Amino acid sequence: MKKKTLLILLILIAVLATGCSKNNTTNPNEKLVEFDPNAGFDTLLEQAKGTTVTFYGWGGDENRNRFLNESLAPKLKEKYDITLEVVGMDIDNILAKLAGEKQAGLEEGSIDMIWINGENFYSAKENDLLFGPFTDKLPNFEKYIDTEDEEVLNDFGFPIEGYEAPYGKAQLVFLKDSAVTPETPRNTQEFLDFCKKYEGKVTYAALPDFTGSAFVRTLIYDIVGHEQFLTMEADKEVVREAIEPALEYLRELNKYLWNQGKTFPATNGEVDNMFQDGELVMAMSYGPYAAAVGIEKGIYNDTVKTFVFDNGTVGNTNYIAIAKNSPNKAGAMVVINEIISAETQAEQFEALKTLPVVAYDKLSDEEKARFDKVDIGQGVLPQDQLLSKRLPEMPANLVPIIEEIWLEEVVGK
Amino acid sequence: MKDLSSNRLLKIFLYLALFAILAPMVIIIFWAFANQWPWPNLLPTSYSLRGVKEIFAPYGKVFPILTSSITLSLTVALLSAIIAIMTARAIVFYDFWGKGILDFISMAPNLVPSTVFAMGIHVVFIKMSLANTPLGVIIVHLIYTLPYTINIMRNLTESIGKDMEQQAYVLGASPWKSFLYISFPLLLPGIIASITMAYILSFSQYFVTLLIGGGKVMTFSMIMVPFIAKGDRTLGSAYALVFVISTLLVFTIINTIMKRFQKRKEKYNWN
Repeated sequence: MKKKTLLILLILIAVLATGCSKNNTTNPNEKLVEFDPNAGFDTLLEQAKGTTVTFYGWGGDENRNRFLNESLAPKLKEKYDITLEVVGMDIDNILAKLAGEKQAGLEEGSIDMIWINGENFYSAKENDLLFGPFTDKLPNFEKYIDTEDEEVLNDFGFPIEGYEAPYGKAQLVFLKDSAVTPETPRNTQEFLDFCKKYEGKVTYAALPDFTGSAFVRTLIYDIVGHEQFLTMEADKEVVREAIEPALEYLRELNKYLWNQGKTFPATNGEVDNMFQDGELVMAMSYGPYAAAVGIEKGIYNDTVKTFVFDNGTVGNTNYIAIAKNSPNKAGAMVVINEIISAETQAEQFEALKTLPVVAYDKLSDEEKARFDKVDIGQGVLPQDQLLSKRLPEMPANLVPIIEEIWLEEVVGK
Repeated sequence: MKDLSSNRLLKIFLYLALFAILAPMVIIIFWAFANQWPWPNLLPTSYSLRGVKEIFAPYGKVFPILTSSITLSLTVALLSAIIAIMTARAIVFYDFWGKGILDFISMAPNLVPSTVFAMGIHVVFIKMSLANTPLGVIIVHLIYTLPYTINIMRNLTESIGKDMEQQAYVLGASPWKSFLYISFPLLLPGIIASITMAYILSFSQYFVTLLIGGGKVMTFSMIMVPFIAKGDRTLGSAYALVFVISTLLVFTIINTIMKRFQKRKEKYNWN
């Protein structure tokens, strides 16, 4: 009798287990024979037909999720018969997953396209997790992208060498509510005065938060200039010496910040929430049109305005890379080629207000007109003004060093 | 007199606990529909349907994901409870070689930091082709939930003992019957507790699901957490609300089924 019970239980387990794992056996891309990146784009188009491409990237922006799923995906289906599967995942987890797959020797992974840049690109490329070079095989890369542009050649000072294609441009901007604070700080000195006047109502996200970190780099640039960092050796002592005046400034600044700079909000999301609640008088964002997006959503007052320093703020490009163990590289290349087209970039600019990556002078008059008539919304700075105040990012390997020094010498000091 | 005062204390404690649970719930409900709610306003200053629209937007596939997520967690919960009943019986009633080790190992997943555990098991699962499959996620969730369910069942099995079952044997009942009509009803409160516990643990698991499921196995927490991490209070609350409501529904259903089970047994016994 006992054996029978055991048997029933075992059958139950087996049924439940198999019932839940139905859809993992067949890989829709398996029929794809011998991928050759040099085979010419028409061959790639042929190979990509009817396949699924997965796109892994940060999923915390509902506007972007909507754009990818409702605008880009249907277009890819119609034009190329490719199914785009968007998966929201933080870049740390994506890299952990790729590293695990590499360690286990998995040749066919599950990730095709990755939304990436900066330090993450640096470490992914160094660890041989990415496929490439591939950008020179994309027709639209030559057609629409300025191949001599600094941000197309280097990502945070690290040579790209065709391992990722530009996706969108970001730039750090500051936000204030002009109904609350009439003054606009234009440099670090004025910013210090601003913090003194609104004591306890300004702060930034604790490093290594992406935005908080960019903000500190912008302050450093304003105080000690940015050129020296482009060639600086990634040595903690060298960096510390170079940024010493800025560290001095940051410690002085602490006195007037929220909670006297003893603690900082953990994420820029918290800073943003505090700004929305009126607890802070200034916010910041890597999305140059964040003010317009926020006003449209109704989370910012109509009087919110964007501003930058006279010496500029750091800006960077974010990119799309292909995983080395991607099961559908042909499909991924077709999709990326579509994303860097003038049409998709214009749609992205309209829907997400992301700065486009296409070179303006490579566009036809018709395409130029489409970009020109995009309504960028309220409270923002026009694109040419932003780009004229754009400072290059530091080399990727300096960024973690600065974050470390900030933790040791600024917070709570 | 002493009884009364301790009773009052208990009541105060109960109300405090209730408040601690309900107050954040009320705030979540408000935030799910609020746009701006600055201090010191008691009520939000502006409302919007942004959260609701996002939840019901077809591209987000919120409800298909919720359904498969509930199925997955229920499977984990049932398996976890079944394994726990058997393990508890084995540990309490039988002596065998390696019993101490088994006892200890059942606690081990909780002693290792979950990130370390997840990274390690990820590599193992890739080699076994369990990564990116629902089966892999179920197994990993089982490993996480078993320490809890085994402990619940072990304490209960210990307190109930074997005597009643043995009485049934003496009267000629088969082991299966004596388990079904004697032990099972007695264990039922523990089984319900185990299932609920395992369900909630599995349903709220984020990092391991992400790593083992690899974005191929989507669960509800995986679409909810990015918005909470970003600090989007409206969307975060809207998702949290769906999370809480769906969990309460599942719990009510489990409870009803289990109670009916018990009632039927009682009726049968009277006949």
